[in-house]
Amino acid sequence: MKRPDWRTLAVGGAVLLSAVAAMQPEITAERATYEIISFVDITGSMNARDYGSKGAPQSRIDAVKERLPAAIGRLPCGSRAGLGVFSERRVFLLFEPMDVCRDFAAIEGAIRGLDWRMAWEGDSRIASGLQNAIEMAAPVGADVVFVTDGHEAPPIRADMDQRFEIDKERTKGLLVGVGGTHPVPIPKYDDFGRESGFFSMSDVPQASRIGPPPEGAETLPGYNARNAPFGEMPEGDEHLTSVKEDYLRRLAGETGLGYARLGEPKALAEAIAAGAKPRPIEVPVDLSSIPAAAALLALAALYGAPLVAGLRRPRPAAQGVA
Amino acid sequence: MSALGFDNAWLLLLLVLAALPLFASPLRLSAVPSDDVIPDDPLSSAVGAALTALGVIAIAALALGLAGLHRRDQIIERRGVGANVVLLIDRSSSMDSTFANRSPEGKEESKSVAARRLLTDFSARRAADRVAVAAFSTAPMPIVPMTDHHDAVRAAIAAIDRPGLAHTDVGRGLALAFSMFDDASSETSRALVLVSDGAAVIDRRVQDALRDAARRDPVRLYWLFLRTQGSKGIYDKPAPGEADIPQVYPERHLDIFLKSLDLPYRAFEARSAQEVSAAIREIDQLEQRPTTFKETIPRQDLDWLCYLVAAIASGLLLAGKLMERRLDDGALDGSAASRRLAGAS
Repeated sequence: MKRPDWRTLAVGGAVLLSAVAAMQPEITAERATYEIISFVDITGSMNARDYGSKGAPQSRIDAVKERLPAAIGRLPCGSRAGLGVFSERRVFLLFEPMDVCRDFAAIEGAIRGLDWRMAWEGDSRIASGLQNAIEMAAPVGADVVFVTDGHEAPPIRADMDQRFEIDKERTKGLLVGVGGTHPVPIPKYDDFGRESGFFSMSDVPQASRIGPPPEGAETLPGYNARNAPFGEMPEGDEHLTSVKEDYLRRLAGETGLGYARLGEPKALAEAIAAGAKPRPIEVPVDLSSIPAAAALLALAALYGAPLVAGLRRPRPAAQGVA
Repeated sequence: MSALGFDNAWLLLLLVLAALPLFASPLRLSAVPSDDVIPDDPLSSAVGAALTALGVIAIAALALGLAGLHRRDQIIERRGVGANVVLLIDRSSSMDSTFANRSPEGKEESKSVAARRLLTDFSARRAADRVAVAAFSTAPMPIVPMTDHHDAVRAAIAAIDRPGLAHTDVGRGLALAFSMFDDASSETSRALVLVSDGAAVIDRRVQDALRDAARRDPVRLYWLFLRTQGSKGIYDKPAPGEADIPQVYPERHLDIFLKSLDLPYRAFEARSAQEVSAAIREIDQLEQRPTTFKETIPRQDLDWLCYLVAAIASGLLLAGKLMERRLDDGALDGSAASRRLAGAS
């Protein structure tokens, strides 16, 4: 029995390998997906315009509306995203998580539909809102992505500490800081929703009046036990707003969330993936390209070898005859 | 956008390799210096050309498969029977209590849980609908824009039993709902379903805006009123001597206002989950109009087909290869002459 020609072996190999490829061998691999509910701050300070380029300013809420859907669209398929809004001291859930790939149009449409007019009260008590958001997301098993500028209104009292009643070990998610570091004025709107200038210092409370007056309030200027137990309203810059990163980092540390500044969608998607709990799902991985590549290699060698040989030597013989 | 796509289009460069069979043969070289010594044989030339073609096909098919040939997902328009529905849902905190106006205990269902369950059924039954969801409480909130994706609608309906807000601003909610019909929703099949457990005074200015909207975008209007025990109903008339004003009878006056919009309008007053279910079934039956909706056919990988073509082509090539005979093999006819020839060489 003669040894078979190597060319026969190459063709035979190509037949086998392409047949194997055509049967689509696959293995299952695990891929991390995420389940998040984004809560977007729609309070007044989010209307401040410190995004966009010179000549085309963009408000914080508009920047969120542009970048958040793009970031959610970058999460791996199989991830799910829900949406809620934050105002006053609590959040309002708009919809429960849905698939970020199949239902992306609906998620994007909903985020683009966000508006400060949806807010129900003027206050902005972020710590309470965050607590409420974590409670709201827990029954669904989703992680919180809380998007805010960190501007508490009225300002928090330094002499009263905040406590979060949450299970810090099991809370995952991300706190996203929105806004620039340079203080900018906050637009003001009239009863018909038309912009009517900016808030001035006397328009907003510059210090908290919540709870009992602090100790030693008697010594404050303008103190009156009945009419002004906190003394007179001090001067301040609460009517200007910038992203309160230190405060947000502290909140993130106290709740177990991650912190990221609202950046480009790619960075935001990576931050969400880093902060949220990965949920491995099994996805089939198609392996057919490996035998197919080998088959291609075999055929290329089959046809290429005589050519290479032909280049090395001057054409020795004619082609074979069948 | 063409119907076919590639995952890794740069791998199409491998198609260059398909030219190789035009310059080389898989068959063994023969020592015969020129094929001019052999008489012309049309059959041989045809077989030679076929073998070349098989090689080209096999390599090209493998290259196409490796580049990830697939049919892109396609959106096709289908005609069905359904409607373009805007669901306008009350998310005020009173929706979180039962029909008996208590906090739900044990197996009791709150109004919002009942509404959630029955509306989820409703949307699941109606595959040909396009649905948008909006909520209203203290402020109107658009939730999901008009969509063909029923998963999205389900996720939006799933949120309606979550804690709501304080007030019931039904007027601005209706104004929002009117604005949510898009151009793609044909005018004859628009339905607005208001689900609420109470009503409120509608501001005069909002009333005017609603009248304008109703004239501009006529819809069929349904009000599913979840009546709580002890509260006033749509059809309660004030006792003689009592003031007939919207502040005291908001439900009655909302009904009067909605009738005055001159739209096809039905109000359903439901005092229990069964009555809600009956009302929803009736809306289901009434809203059977021809609609067009989009259905997405998911992408289909075609690489297996490429590999199959490659397998068949190279299989035929292999058959050709196995039938290869050489002058010096001695196997040709088994003739003594060729054996002698071999011996001589």
